[in-house]
Amino acid sequence: AVRGRCADVRLSALSLCPQFVGSDEELQRRLAETILQEKKDFNINIHLATSLPLPSERDHLRPRIDLVVFMIDIKSKYSLKNVETSLAYVDASYFLGKVCFLVTGVGRKNDCSIETNAVCKLGEAYCSPVLFCELELEGVRVATAQRLVRMLGICAGHIPGVSALSFVSLMRKSNDD
Amino acid sequence: MQRRRSSKTPKQPQHVQHKNQTDLSAWRKGGKIDSEKSLQYNQSANDQKYDNQEESLEQALSYFGKVQDCVAPKKNVVQKHLDAVESTALKQGLPPEGFEILLNVALSGRLADTVNTQLLKSLIPASVIPENSVVTAVSWLCVSKCSGNIQLLFLKWLITVFDFIDHKEQLHALYGFFFSFLQDEKLCPYVCHLLYLLTRKENVKPFRIRILLDLQAKMGMQSHLQALLSLYKLFCPEQVTITLPGKMKTYFKNSEGPWKAAITAVRQRNQGPSPLSQAVFLGTSQPQSRKRKWNAQLVIPASSTNTNHLEEDREKSCFYLHNTNESFPVEQLQTFPQLLQNIHRLEFPSQMGSVLTNPLLLHYMSCVKDESIYLRLYYWMGQMLQEECTWCVVDNPYEEEFKSFLETAYKAECFLQEGFSACEEFLYKTLPLWDGFCCRSEVLRLVSWIPLSSFSDIKQYLFDPLAQLFFTSSIYFKCSVLESLKELLQNWLNCNVIQMDLEISSGNTTLSGLVNVVAELVDFVGRISTVALRLENNSTFLLYFILDFYGTVCDMYLKYNLPLLIMPPAGVFYPALLSMDSVNLNQLCYIMYRYRTNLVAAKENELSKKKILQFKFSNQTYQKYNQYIIAMVGCLWTSSAFQKDIHPQGLCMDDKLLSKTAVKELKNSFNIVYHPAMMGYSVRFLQQICPDDTTFNFKLIKGKKWDWYLEYLYTQGLKGLKVFIESSISRVSQAARSKAGNVEA
Repeated sequence: AVRGRCADVRLSALSLCPQFVGSDEELQRRLAETILQEKKDFNINIHLATSLPLPSERDHLRPRIDLVVFMIDIKSKYSLKNVETSLAYVDASYFLGKVCFLVTGVGRKNDCSIETNAVCKLGEAYCSPVLFCELELEGVRVATAQRLVRMLGICAGHIPGVSALSFVSLMRKSNDD
Repeated sequence: MQRRRSSKTPKQPQHVQHKNQTDLSAWRKGGKIDSEKSLQYNQSANDQKYDNQEESLEQALSYFGKVQDCVAPKKNVVQKHLDAVESTALKQGLPPEGFEILLNVALSGRLADTVNTQLLKSLIPASVIPENSVVTAVSWLCVSKCSGNIQLLFLKWLITVFDFIDHKEQLHALYGFFFSFLQDEKLCPYVCHLLYLLTRKENVKPFRIRILLDLQAKMGMQSHLQALLSLYKLFCPEQVTITLPGKMKTYFKNSEGPWKAAITAVRQRNQGPSPLSQAVFLGTSQPQSRKRKWNAQLVIPASSTNTNHLEEDREKSCFYLHNTNESFPVEQLQTFPQLLQNIHRLEFPSQMGSVLTNPLLLHYMSCVKDESIYLRLYYWMGQMLQEECTWCVVDNPYEEEFKSFLETAYKAECFLQEGFSACEEFLYKTLPLWDGFCCRSEVLRLVSWIPLSSFSDIKQYLFDPLAQLFFTSSIYFKCSVLESLKELLQNWLNCNVIQMDLEISSGNTTLSGLVNVVAELVDFVGRISTVALRLENNSTFLLYFILDFYGTVCDMYLKYNLPLLIMPPAGVFYPALLSMDSVNLNQLCYIMYRYRTNLVAAKENELSKKKILQFKFSNQTYQKYNQYIIAMVGCLWTSSAFQKDIHPQGLCMDDKLLSKTAVKELKNSFNIVYHPAMMGYSVRFLQQICPDDTTFNFKLIKGKKWDWYLEYLYTQGLKGLKVFIESSISRVSQAARSKAGNVEA
C-alpha cells in the first residue's frame, strides 16, 4: 500500500549511539537535525537510541526501520564495545544492506583510542559499510547527513534498480576477487 | 595560564633596568614606539599590558643574564622571572636577543632541572633565532654540565626550531660535535634527526659511515639510523655498500615538543588572519629564501623580518660567495639566464620546501635528476603532510593554509610533470578516513598525480575508499572524481609516451605492467560509472563527465601509443545512445569514431606486422565495437534498433512485445529525426523548410531533405555526428540514399 505514492512514503532511520560522557548525544541529535533539514522527497523519522534492544512495550507502534546506523566514537573504546553488544539484537535480515557504521571523531586523530582497523574489521564481519566523519565540523556534518540520506533512499527502495543488498555489495571492499 | 598572567602583571616593580632596553623595544611591533614614550600617552589597557609584559621580560632577561654569578638564587625570584619569560613567549614569542641568555642559563646546569625545563619550553621565537646563541648552547652541551633530560629536550627543541635559526654555516661546522653525541643511546634518535637536517655531501666521510654501521650492528635496525645511512648512501653510494630498505614510512618520530603549537599560535597572533601570509608563503623570489626556509615561512610572521637582517643576510652570503667560492646562493637566483650561468654551482637550500614555490629551482630540479634531492623533498613533505594533516583536525584555523599547501604541491607536480611519492603516501593514509568534504578539490587534484605503481596498492588505497565515497556522495562529487581520474589517466599516458620517446626501459614499470594498471583504471571507472548512472537516474550532467573520460580512453592507441583499447560498458553506452541530450549523443558519436580509427589502425599494424606484436587487441574488443556500432547505426540511421541489436544487454526486443506498447512509428523513434535528443533540431529544421506547415510532419524529412537535414545538423555544431556518419555509414549511392546504410567495421 505504501509503494507507488511517493508523498506518503514514510522512511525511518534508526540511529544508534552509545551513551557516554561529553557531547556525544548532542552530536547525535545535531546529526539527526541536519538530516531532517536536508532537501528530500520523502519524510524521515529518526529514532535515537543509546543501545539495543529497544524497549518492547511500544513495538507495535514503531514504524518499519529502513536503516540502522551504529555510531562509533573513535575516542572511546566503550562505544565500540556497546555497539558490539547491541549488534546481537539486530535481526539478521538487516545485514543485507540496512546497517551501516558511522565512525565519528576522526578529526581528532591524535586522541583516538580505537584502531580504525578494528572498526573496518567489524564492518567486514557484518557486511556493512563503514563511513568516517567528524560531526563537530558543520560542513562535514552536512556532507555526512547527505550521504546517509542517499543510503537511506536506497535502503528504502527509492532508487529504481538499486536494492539495499546490491548497494551494500558495491560498498564492500573487493579484496576477494 | 591566563590567571597566572593577569595576577602577575599589575604587580610590576617601578624600577626598570635599562640594560637591554634598546634591543627589545626595536623588536616589538614595528619597533617604533618605545616604552617610555608610550607610557606618556594614555593608552588602552591592552597596550599597557603589552608594555608591562615587555618590561617584565626585560627584567627577567637581565636577571637571567646575571644569575650565573649569583651564589644562591632565591627560588621565588627565579620563579617570578620564569613566569614572565613564559607568558611573553606564549603570547608574543621571544626576541632574538633573548635566546643566548636563556640558553646559557638552561644549559649551564646552574639552576634546578625544573627551571631549565621550563625555560627551554618557553623558547618560542617571535622571529628568528640567532645562530650564535645556538652555537653557545652546543658548547654548553659539550661540557655536559646539564642533565641528560635537558640535553634531550634541547635537541628536540633544536629540531623543531631548526628553520628559525638565521644562519647555519657555523652550525654546519659543528657537525662533528653533533655526530659524537650519537654514542649516547638516549640522544641517538634525535641526533640522527638533527644530522639528517644538517648533512651535506662533504660531511659524508668513511669513518662516519663506519661508526654508523657499528652503531647499527650494536643497536639493531633502527629507523633513525637507517634514515641517516640512506642519506649518506645517496650522497656517496660507492662508500655505503649495505642494502637498506627502499621505502620507509616514517624515519623519525615527531619530536612531540611543546613548541610547535605555541609557535603557530604566536605567529597567528603576531600576524593576524592568514591571507596576508599567503603572499609571502607563495612568493617566489623572497630574497631570504635560503636562510628562511619555506616551512619557516609558513610559520614566521612576515612583518617581523626587519630589513637590517636582510642586509646582513645579503652581505653574509656575498661573503660566503667570495670566501668559499663554491656555491651560488639561491636567494640571488632571480632569472633564467642566471640559472643557466650558475647551474654547475647551485646548491639547494637546506630545507627543500622552498623549491616548491620557485620555478627556477624546479627547472633545476628536473634537470639534475639527483635522487638525494627528491629524497630530501619527500622527507620534508612527508613530515609536513603528516604533522599538518589539518583537514582532519577540529578547530583548526589553518585549514586555508593547508589547502594552499596542497595546492602548491599540486602545482609543483604539474610543473615537474610527475607525482611526488610523499603526496601519494599522504593520500593513501588520508583517503580511507576521508569524509569527502574537507579540502575536496585539493585532495582530488592530488589524486590525479598518483604515480603509476602496483595495482594492488592502487586498488586497496585508492579505488576502494574512493568508490565508497563515490557511491554515497552527491552528483557533483561523482563528477569531480571522474574528472580527476581522467586527469590521472592522462598523466599516466603522458608519462608513458615520454618514457617511450626516451626509450628508457625503467625497471619497475614494464609496458605490460603499465597496460595492466591502465586497464584496471579504465575498468574501475567503467564500473563506477555504470552504477552512478543508475543511482543518479542517467543524469545528463554525470554522463557528460563519463563520456569525457572515454574521450581519452578511445584514443589511447593512436594518441598515446599504448596497445590498449577498452570499450565503455553497456551501462554507459546505452544511456549515452538514448540520452535526452544532443551534446552527449554527439560526444558518443565522436568517441565511436575515434574507436573506429584506433581499431582500424591497430588492425592494419597487426596485418603488416610492424610493431607491438606482443600486444594484440583481443577479439572481444572488436566484437564489442561491432555490437555497439550495429546498435548505433540501427538506432540513428536505419531505424532497426529493436531488430538488429545483438548486444546481450542491448535494445533488441520481440515484435510482439513492442506492439503491446501501442506506440506508433516505433521503429523510427530513435533515428536522427525522432531521437529525443535530436527532436529539437528536426522541429527547427521543419520550421525552416516549410514555415507554413504547423503540423510538424516529420515524414517530410527524407530523400534530398534528409541530406539537407544532415547538413543542417552539421552546421549546428554536431561535428561528432558528422565524423561518425561519414566514417561508419557508407551511403549506398547518391540516388538511393533514403534510409539505407550499412556498417563497415
